[in-house]
Amino acid sequence: MSYDLVIVGGGVHGCTAALFAARGGMKVALVERGALAREASGVNAGTLTMQMTRVALIPYALRAHAMWANAREWLGHDVGVVVCDGLSLAFTEQEAQLLSYRAGKRREAGAPIDLISGTEAKSIEPGLADGVLLAGHCRVDGFANAYLTGLAFQRALREAGVDVLEYTPATGIEREAGGFAVLTSAGPVRGKRLLLAGGVWIEPMLGWLGIRLPIKTLVNQLAVSERVQPVMRTVVGIANGLLSLKQYPHGTVVIGGGWQGIGDRERGGVELVPERLIGNARLACHAIPALRAARMVRAWAGLEAETADALPAVGPVPGIPDAYVCGSVHSGYTSGPYIARLLAEHLLGKEPSLPLFPIDRLLAPATGREGLT
Amino acid sequence: MGKVNKGAGAIADVIVAGAGPAGTNAALAAAASGLDVVLLDEQDAAGGQVWRKPLDGLNGLPETAELKAGNALRERLIASNVRFLPGRRIWSVSGQYRVDVIGADNPEFFEAPHLIAATGAHERVVPFEGWTLPGVIGLAGATTLIKSGGIVPGNRIVVAGSGPLLTAVAAGILKLGGTVAAVVDIAPLGAWLKALPALASVPSLLAQGAVWTLAIGRARVPVYRGHAVVRALGNGRLEQVVIGPVDAAGAPVAGSDAFTIDADCLCVGNGLVAGSDITRCLRAGHTYDRLRGGVVPVLDDAGRTSRAGLYACGDGYGIRGAAMAESAGVLAGLAAACDAGAISAEEMQRRAAPHRATFAARRRFSDAMAGMMALRPEQVRAIAPETVVCRCEDITRGAIDAAIAAGAKDLNQLKHFTRCGMGPCQARMCGDVVAELLAIGTGDRAALGALTMRPPLRPVPLEALLGDFSYSDIPIPEPAPL
Amino acid sequence: MRRRCEDDRESITIMVDGRPLVARAGDSVAVALGLNDILKMRSSPAAGAPRGAFCFMGVCQECAIYIDGALRQACLTRVAEGMVVELRGVP
Repeated sequence: MSYDLVIVGGGVHGCTAALFAARGGMKVALVERGALAREASGVNAGTLTMQMTRVALIPYALRAHAMWANAREWLGHDVGVVVCDGLSLAFTEQEAQLLSYRAGKRREAGAPIDLISGTEAKSIEPGLADGVLLAGHCRVDGFANAYLTGLAFQRALREAGVDVLEYTPATGIEREAGGFAVLTSAGPVRGKRLLLAGGVWIEPMLGWLGIRLPIKTLVNQLAVSERVQPVMRTVVGIANGLLSLKQYPHGTVVIGGGWQGIGDRERGGVELVPERLIGNARLACHAIPALRAARMVRAWAGLEAETADALPAVGPVPGIPDAYVCGSVHSGYTSGPYIARLLAEHLLGKEPSLPLFPIDRLLAPATGREGLT
Repeated sequence: MGKVNKGAGAIADVIVAGAGPAGTNAALAAAASGLDVVLLDEQDAAGGQVWRKPLDGLNGLPETAELKAGNALRERLIASNVRFLPGRRIWSVSGQYRVDVIGADNPEFFEAPHLIAATGAHERVVPFEGWTLPGVIGLAGATTLIKSGGIVPGNRIVVAGSGPLLTAVAAGILKLGGTVAAVVDIAPLGAWLKALPALASVPSLLAQGAVWTLAIGRARVPVYRGHAVVRALGNGRLEQVVIGPVDAAGAPVAGSDAFTIDADCLCVGNGLVAGSDITRCLRAGHTYDRLRGGVVPVLDDAGRTSRAGLYACGDGYGIRGAAMAESAGVLAGLAAACDAGAISAEEMQRRAAPHRATFAARRRFSDAMAGMMALRPEQVRAIAPETVVCRCEDITRGAIDAAIAAGAKDLNQLKHFTRCGMGPCQARMCGDVVAELLAIGTGDRAALGALTMRPPLRPVPLEALLGDFSYSDIPIPEPAPL
Repeated sequence: MRRRCEDDRESITIMVDGRPLVARAGDSVAVALGLNDILKMRSSPAAGAPRGAFCFMGVCQECAIYIDGALRQACLTRVAEGMVVELRGVP
């Protein structure tokens, strides 16, 4: 049998595209080497913020934020979304300058960010430390409980009639008459169209088609406290973007911000760097002093993909009809559902409401298509 | 020692993590070979749980063999040039090798090309209804109270579970003048008789067990063999223990009569789990070994792991008991000394020979004991749906089964579906049992492996982790692109 | 819980939920509470069930309660004169 669409990669991009493509009438198979949303999509900090989003992605992130806030409507299952205020802090003059500039650019792109004083910030977030010089305040912020993503999508995809093949690693792709055969541990999965949505593994996946798209792997460290009394009620970041901090309704506080651990695409996040866990924790406690009384119970690392220009790889694969790619979206968990839905709309023949991010710009002409023959 | 942000870490030739019988012997052996050894432990004194030091200022504690062994070990340590640093909680191991600790005023770290992991085992308690009630405590915990504090944990105590700790705890309570209401052993008498020849292979240890058993008999304590706790009852604290017969596999016998014993304390345990914390964190090669207490590192005959410079010994990395932990520790210490070039391979073999002999001579005894303590799958299968399995998050057997039915196929995924293992015990209390529950469906416990282990190895108060710092100390990385 | 050996150590006073409690210097908070017949230390966060010290060796985290304002393990924390203990754990 042949599917209308075979998707390789079961993260938030692959799952969302599968969901909307199936609801649009396509027969869809989703191939995932592990369990759904267990890599970046399940282990990221869950932040749904505009203040860490790249300027070019703000229009997408705003729409995606609205989707997350209504996840029960389109996804049908709970991912623990909390919509709240977000604050980006500046403690030094230098940070204040950086914040003014960055917030201004994001505001131009449509993010409703206001610059406020430390005193005003403290009225919004009573848990804040003294010494905040300036803060970016955005009402469109919040967070999801990322580890619930896999279960929510698993149920939604089942209901939408998608054939989900978990624990089924893909090992290659063959082009054949009428489409593609994705080679997997469970045999070939055939489809008329192909979508590669493999996060940091997009690079080797495109390699199967002879396309060379370099993807850098970021190893983002994260830590979480045990349940503590309420210490904060907003999402708190810092001007340079290297802190994301929020408290979940059950009381745990997740400390993130993209401090780098050790690892790569082949081995995953193999090691956490203790000094960086300490640095990140110091930054967190500097912002929210009451956190000092909490205990850190777990820490981990998630892999984030980044293209050469740090903008997404979303669109058709040049020179290979009916093959598409979707991923490498900076702060991809925030923007992912909207961007993947755009791609699904494109596949369904609709005119996407915002442009995609075709990868032609990232392919070197001399080397990019040599594997096509 | 190194302080984070205040210069490099303290350099040593060898770091030994854990100062029980295994780790202390490893440290002594390495130091005797001329190496600079740092020995770290969370407790205030060496000895581990099994040879735990009594608190200073207590008099009249029974002179036990374990106390004597512990004192001898502590004296040897004091006489050595091992740098023993007690009161240090290890929260991170990384690199080749760096060990981060809290416990002093500021976070510290140590670096050495050789790391010997000897952090000890923790107890397995197979859940039953009411096991979370105050007054229900672990068997191993009871030994700590008895040995270090001269404390009997209740007025009327039921001692239940499996393995040699049962008789040790019951006898320890009696020796302190306490009252044991009953001993409840999941193993039938036949299982002990079957193990007897193997236990007799180390006469001194068999004799110790016999002395304990005789003491229990003399005190006319009822001993229920082939029985297990069905539930613990009480209003806010333990008041009664219900026990009933089990079959040879440890499963409750359907339709048989359970009966109730009044008690204000229940000491219960079902053997030990080898957590393999450090070797798992450093991603050495591991295998599942039910007899050895879970997922344990693959070791050569001197305790070398699959990672160069990383060694493991003691019950935390494969249950063998204190009698073999000492020898295993010496062997690991000698292996590190040999690999560091401090002693030749011939010298190592010469010094290792008597310890290898001890190791071999005690293996039969050790395996028989480990067998009595190993997890009984049928006991896990019998856990009732409403029983709490994950104590931190109050997650029941029923909720775990529901997540498995919803499609959770591996341990990390089950954790995401239920929060089981996300609490502060970091799955130490429930992990082994949860893996067994998941394996009922998948049929292959070994293939499930273990939850990913990462720092912090234990919960760390952020306050202790932060130390003294100013904002300008924080090495904030470059901002992400706009 | 009862001590069945001679104890030469000095008596000190800790404050438990605002009430003074006599303890012996050198004991852990968990032991000091147990010797005063306080077994329930906190309620579990999800089910609100009573909990007390269980493993007495720093593993199970059942005795993590607020000591001098921060969550600490009562079995690993030594009593000190004037120490403020609150019988509550994670919320």
